[in-house]
Amino acid sequence: MDMSQYRNLFLSEAREYLKAINDTVVALEEAPADRAGIDTLFRGAHSLKGMAASMEYGDIVEIAHSMEDLMIRVRDGALAFDPGVADLLLEGTDLIDGLLNDVETECEPRRSPGDLPGRLSGYAPKPFDPGARSQPPEPPPTRSSAPGEPEPGKETEVSTVRVSTELLDHLVNLTGELITNKHRLLNIGRDLGSPPLNEAVAETSKLLRALHDEVMKVRLMPFEAICDRFQRSVRTLAKKSGKELHFELEGREIGLDRGILERLTDPLNHLLRNAVDHGMEESAERLAAGKSARGEVKLSVSRDRDRVLITVSDDGRGMDPERMIAAAIRKGLISATDAQQLSPRQALMLACIPGFSTAREVTEVSGRGVGMDAVSSSIQKLGGTLAIESEPGKGSSFTLRLPMSIAIIHALVVRCGAIKGAVPVSAVLRTVELRREQVTTVGKSQVFQMDDEAIPLLSLNRLLGLPLGRFPDGIVPLFVTESKGRRVGIVVDRLLGQHELFIKPLGRPLAKLSGVAGGAILGDGEIITLLDVAGLL
Amino acid sequence: MATTVMIVDDSLFMRKMLRDILEEEGYEVVAEASDGVEAVDKYRESRPGLTTLDIVMPNKTGIEALQEIMAFDPAARVVMCSAVGQESLTVAAAQAGAKAFILKPFNPELVARVLREACEG
Repeated sequence: MDMSQYRNLFLSEAREYLKAINDTVVALEEAPADRAGIDTLFRGAHSLKGMAASMEYGDIVEIAHSMEDLMIRVRDGALAFDPGVADLLLEGTDLIDGLLNDVETECEPRRSPGDLPGRLSGYAPKPFDPGARSQPPEPPPTRSSAPGEPEPGKETEVSTVRVSTELLDHLVNLTGELITNKHRLLNIGRDLGSPPLNEAVAETSKLLRALHDEVMKVRLMPFEAICDRFQRSVRTLAKKSGKELHFELEGREIGLDRGILERLTDPLNHLLRNAVDHGMEESAERLAAGKSARGEVKLSVSRDRDRVLITVSDDGRGMDPERMIAAAIRKGLISATDAQQLSPRQALMLACIPGFSTAREVTEVSGRGVGMDAVSSSIQKLGGTLAIESEPGKGSSFTLRLPMSIAIIHALVVRCGAIKGAVPVSAVLRTVELRREQVTTVGKSQVFQMDDEAIPLLSLNRLLGLPLGRFPDGIVPLFVTESKGRRVGIVVDRLLGQHELFIKPLGRPLAKLSGVAGGAILGDGEIITLLDVAGLL
Repeated sequence: MATTVMIVDDSLFMRKMLRDILEEEGYEVVAEASDGVEAVDKYRESRPGLTTLDIVMPNKTGIEALQEIMAFDPAARVVMCSAVGQESLTVAAAQAGAKAFILKPFNPELVARVLREACEG
């Protein structure tokens, strides 16, 4: 029998089992006697073994078999589900995951089971480990579902279809092109002044909007898809740093565009690492401060209209704005005069300036430089924003506001000299048209007053190397954006209004230019560049 | 007329493999189920001439599903799928009325022979 035809199915299903095992191990650490969880682990290892045996992947069979044996001992009450069992199972899934990658890339296996099967089947709890008492598991709960009653979630399982992501990308692309074309039709309709044509185009617009929404929904994936990595990394970090903490995840079901989700792993890992390594105190310090010995780190996802909010929070030592300002001055990142103008909220945002780090020491876990600047810039590239809140002694929270999808965005279109540029509206705090006399000079920079704050002004023409605008009618148009924790007014020649743009990557070598995030075609066929303002400053 | 079959296994990979083996042998696969509860339901609906039933499954094990199927239809022809090391379970399955056993990983010729015998016997 030619087994190669089953390889892809094997890989995708085996990975589903690994994910289920990982999730269940982490859940069982909180509730070690949960019978259903123990059964799931046993079945997962058993199924993996059977599948791998059919494919004749001996190494995977050997590991899965020993995992199954270990879980039989737990299931039968001979062994309690203790941290040692959890560690071994996770080591097993990691190794199998690596072996699956070897299978997928068709390379010679780069790893072998080594002594893991032996350690799995020979596992005995440490004698002095208080968590390792051999307690008999609770009796199995009586099944509540009557025969014939479908299990919850069963229906959706049957009515789903697997579609390649490539196909989804094509659909998005086509929809985007249709929207660009719609703008073209709108322009023609306006020129012709034909009411029936305009009516038909307006109707088409509505339908396109609906189509776009549906196509974007198809691309949405639940946050769940990347959750298990965080659970794993927080667990490992806590172990490494010897801190006792509880990790909570909320809102796994919230959907985000696949493209955004893929690019969230690194920033969120950074934030979680900071929370565990720098935010969280040692148990002794927490007790001395009147807190519970066990710290809490939370990752929560929620919807706010068409945006998704992701918050990483901890109840650790918090951040002190005063200390952050002092550190920034000491490192020459801001001047003492600048510092006086910073609100506490802005002081916290100093963390996002490259080269800034308040951690007193470099640790093995977080390394040098906490990477907040990287986090902040990758969130901006996704069209999102980052906000920091913190109270010394109480903890910190980092909130990312992200669009649900990225390909089609609303942008402010501006003119500078002969060039039209677009800025995502998510990066625009406000648009302003100043009279010349409202601009004052403080030191070397020009500023204007907004909400009792002096906002420095920069010329987009200058940033782009274009001749400076002259503003013959005495009106200075600008938009206010936030960069490195500070608000900045970006002066342009004209504000042209808000547009719906289908953004495409520029491709090499243009993609390497800093300050440019992509391109789009306007309804009249004109090409417009999407500016990454943060990258220009 | 081709013998109708229902395949029960929680792994899609296993169901696909078994389906290919069975269709190659001229069986008509009329239903698939991925757990014990679904197996009993679909048995009632499709009344297959032959059922292959995995032992380790969620929401009701293969043995529990077998007992219910046999209670509903004492003439049911059910073949259990098991893995090495599940000998104690095969005794329980035989007592509950299983006609035969096929061992994972599947050997296509062996599977074909066992199923043929189960149909005849």
